[in-house]
Amino acid sequence: MAYEFELPDVGEGVAEGELVRWLVEPGDTVSEDQPLAEVETDKAMVEVPSPVDGTVKELRAEEGEMVPVGDVFVVLQPEGEVDEDELEESEREPATADEDADTGTPESVEAGGPSTDGQEGSVPEGRVFAAPSARRLARELGVDIAAVEGTGPSGRATQQDVRAHAEAAEGPAGDDTATAEAAAEGGADGTEPAGGAGGVEAAGETGSGPDIAGGGQQVESADRERTVAAPATRRVADELGVDIDAVPATEQRDGEAFVTEAAVRQYAQAQQEAQAAQAETAIQTAEGERVERAPYRGVRKTIGDAMAESKYSAPHVTHHETAVADELVEARGRLKEEAEERGFRLTYMPFVMKAVVAALKQHPVLNAELDEEAGEILKKKYYNIGVATATDAGLMVPVVEDVDDKGMLQISSEVNELVQKARDRSISREELQGSTFTITNFGAIGGEYATPILNYPEVAILGMGELKQRPVVEDGEVVAKWTLPLSISIDHRVVDGADVARFAETFIEYVENPELLLLE
Amino acid sequence: MVVGDISTGTDVLVIGAGPGGYVAAIRAGQLDMDVTLVDEDAWGGTCLNYGCIPSKALITATDVAERARNAEHMGVHADPAIDMAGMVNWKDDVVDQLTGGVEKLCKANGVQLMEGRAEFAGENSARIVHGGEGQGAETVEFEHAVIATGSRPIEIPGFEFDDEPVLDSRQALALDSVPNRLVVVGAGYIGMELATVLAKAGSDVTVVEMLDEVLPQYDEDLARPVKKRAEELGIDFHFGQTAREWYEHGDGIRVVTEPADAEAAKAEADGGAAQEFDADKVLVAVGRQPVTDTLNLEAAGLEPNEDGFLETDDRARTDLEHVFAIGDVAGEPMLAHKASKEGQVAAEVIAGEPAALDYQAVPAAVFTDPEIGTVGMTEEEASETGFDPVVGEFPFRASGRALTTDHDEGFVRIVADDESGFVLGGQVVGPEASELIAEIGLAIEMGATLEDVVATIHTHPTLSEAVMEAAENALGHAIHTLNR
Repeated sequence: MAYEFELPDVGEGVAEGELVRWLVEPGDTVSEDQPLAEVETDKAMVEVPSPVDGTVKELRAEEGEMVPVGDVFVVLQPEGEVDEDELEESEREPATADEDADTGTPESVEAGGPSTDGQEGSVPEGRVFAAPSARRLARELGVDIAAVEGTGPSGRATQQDVRAHAEAAEGPAGDDTATAEAAAEGGADGTEPAGGAGGVEAAGETGSGPDIAGGGQQVESADRERTVAAPATRRVADELGVDIDAVPATEQRDGEAFVTEAAVRQYAQAQQEAQAAQAETAIQTAEGERVERAPYRGVRKTIGDAMAESKYSAPHVTHHETAVADELVEARGRLKEEAEERGFRLTYMPFVMKAVVAALKQHPVLNAELDEEAGEILKKKYYNIGVATATDAGLMVPVVEDVDDKGMLQISSEVNELVQKARDRSISREELQGSTFTITNFGAIGGEYATPILNYPEVAILGMGELKQRPVVEDGEVVAKWTLPLSISIDHRVVDGADVARFAETFIEYVENPELLLLE
Repeated sequence: MVVGDISTGTDVLVIGAGPGGYVAAIRAGQLDMDVTLVDEDAWGGTCLNYGCIPSKALITATDVAERARNAEHMGVHADPAIDMAGMVNWKDDVVDQLTGGVEKLCKANGVQLMEGRAEFAGENSARIVHGGEGQGAETVEFEHAVIATGSRPIEIPGFEFDDEPVLDSRQALALDSVPNRLVVVGAGYIGMELATVLAKAGSDVTVVEMLDEVLPQYDEDLARPVKKRAEELGIDFHFGQTAREWYEHGDGIRVVTEPADAEAAKAEADGGAAQEFDADKVLVAVGRQPVTDTLNLEAAGLEPNEDGFLETDDRARTDLEHVFAIGDVAGEPMLAHKASKEGQVAAEVIAGEPAALDYQAVPAAVFTDPEIGTVGMTEEEASETGFDPVVGEFPFRASGRALTTDHDEGFVRIVADDESGFVLGGQVVGPEASELIAEIGLAIEMGATLEDVVATIHTHPTLSEAVMEAAENALGHAIHTLNR
């Protein structure tokens, strides 16, 4: 029996994921745990592994498509099991009562029927779950009710769904589409066909229907008074929203133009393609090439949502200060060589993280969270430090756990590894969760001060500017010193300005005297 | 044009005033079209005059007698006498009231009524031949035509309805006395309804059926209570037999049947398996056939298919864009309510509205004792269609209301898609099955789920609770029955 693989919950409570790239093709042999596809959830890019050994039967999603968790996105044929479809084709056994119910799945039922491209789901063909009023509205708007995505119970299509579908189909080139639908409807009722509707140029006597702006594609159309066609053909034409008098005739019967079902389908497809092309052109014409539209979803949208939630929930205050870091630069310079000999690349980040943890221990209110519902402030006695990382997909915050328990080299290697994973998008969701305090090192790119947004629900975030030599006044003289500009944002509901000022003083003490870290 | 013809024009010519035709005409009138409705016989057609309505009247009347006669256990003692003529008079009053109503409604909606037989004279014209010698004819030019000529009972060789002892359903509903002995040929719904009526009225009824079961188009478990009850009423069944001939015998007739099976029939040729039944009347109810032969269809360029029906698309259109066919003449199922829906759609399509025949299910009812009601898919049909069906049942013997009506036979069954819960069909056998099926029909059309039906409060104590309980049973948590 074919294995219908549903998109698993690739993160924690993720509702859907964008299928970014298929790593297999139908017919490929796959082994268990072999990655099938790359799926981008709202947190990260993950590879979805195959649950079985077998072959790939069918890909149910397009690259770039949003797939809800729980939807079948690939069908696999487990190894050692017989493909029932093939069995059916080769043996053609008559259906018996005890036959496995699964052979009656919609796919096999539809196999011989007309194509239902773009329709998915468990509802057999020809069956529509929508109230009669919604079905009628669909006809009125020229919408194929079977193509409407229902939002009612169990996917029932409501009147709103039908309207939404119609509006979506109209798109920016709305007027033209509407005209085409009206024309199709009119034709169905035996009234005069409207030539040239919807960017389909009528090839009448003059052969010069209006050329729709930049449409480019033209579909050959007829414009007859009457047409001979079987009722089934007329039905298909109605279903496809095609005016049968506009379909080019394939033959003559009794001196009248005769149209076959195949001709209707061909015409409908050509018409659709022309409309799609035109709709695309219309967008381009409207905005020209001055604006590029990019989808706001996946990681980008998650970042946006998180930022909005943080900024709108927590009243931010940012405290600015500067640390003189000559000692730190010197210490790191000495240890760097030692670390390299041991195979580690030592950056400043482990020093900063250690200093942060030391300061947090003395000012626990900055390592906290506000539980508004319970009306409580949670002061955390563990120190998981998030490191904000710029990636191609946007901002991610990998987390180093229990920084207080770890040595400098271990922290260093963990940070380097996590940052690399975040950048090549192989990081797991778990590695992006659970931080209690976050550090953002925007200075790595450049800049002095900023106003970092909290990694909500944390109550404090440390932003570091560029570490470089700046003029500092010392004993009345201006001298060049290594300085580190600090921008610490806090949730003022929980942390007061005095708290963060004191925290900054403690932190700076450690940065300016890194040997104090030995005491930690 | 024939001399003496009067020619008129109309937007819509509706041929046949049954529940398809008169509904089409009224709706067309409501939509401000100029409508002409032609019928050669009676407003309301077979359904109101000779079918659904008269039979239901007689079913009710004979039920009253039957119940009164068998109510001792409820403490009612009675010995009712049946006056068939009186019963038929009452039935006629009901029919008159309804057909009069149809006529009034048509007129009130601006429908031009014309008596006569319509036949096509061309693609856009028809001749209306008035009944009776010398009554003349007239020509009607039409923009659109709706063919709603319905159906008539099928005759079998040797049993002509013109012969006095041979009855079709229409004649059986107009008897002035109860025949002592009646043979019914055909155990379909018409045969079974009338066999039951006449058995309750006091006839000694024998039913002869070609196939092996009563109501062969229904599932065996639906037909079983009907057969059981019929046998209790004294109806004799003979299956696998067809009617061969009848002749006068003694002061009545004798009906001869033979095995339906060809091989058995051959064996019978050497003498043997033929059966003889003495009777006073024989009712032939072996089915109905569409009426197209009166229409001169060739003149319009139309032709029925090999089953005699006019083929139509989902807008009720024939091969001609301006000619529609509705009701029995447009194909199975031959049911009045299907005809009415098609009539409405045809009228709306003519008026340019976006109507279509997009119903999901056509309910059907058999007014036997007990009644049968069905709508949508059976479990088997749902499987064949590609659903994974789940089924729930509720027996009427667990219904308080059923017990208090003294009719607790039968059950409600509801079929749904297991995954989505969408209601796909229902089968009911038992008291008021014909009414109960409506709820399931609404559920199907609305795309309601089992949960929707269950979450709807049903009046207590009513039979309709059985539908809710069946849906609960399908979900595995019925209250008043054990969940399988």
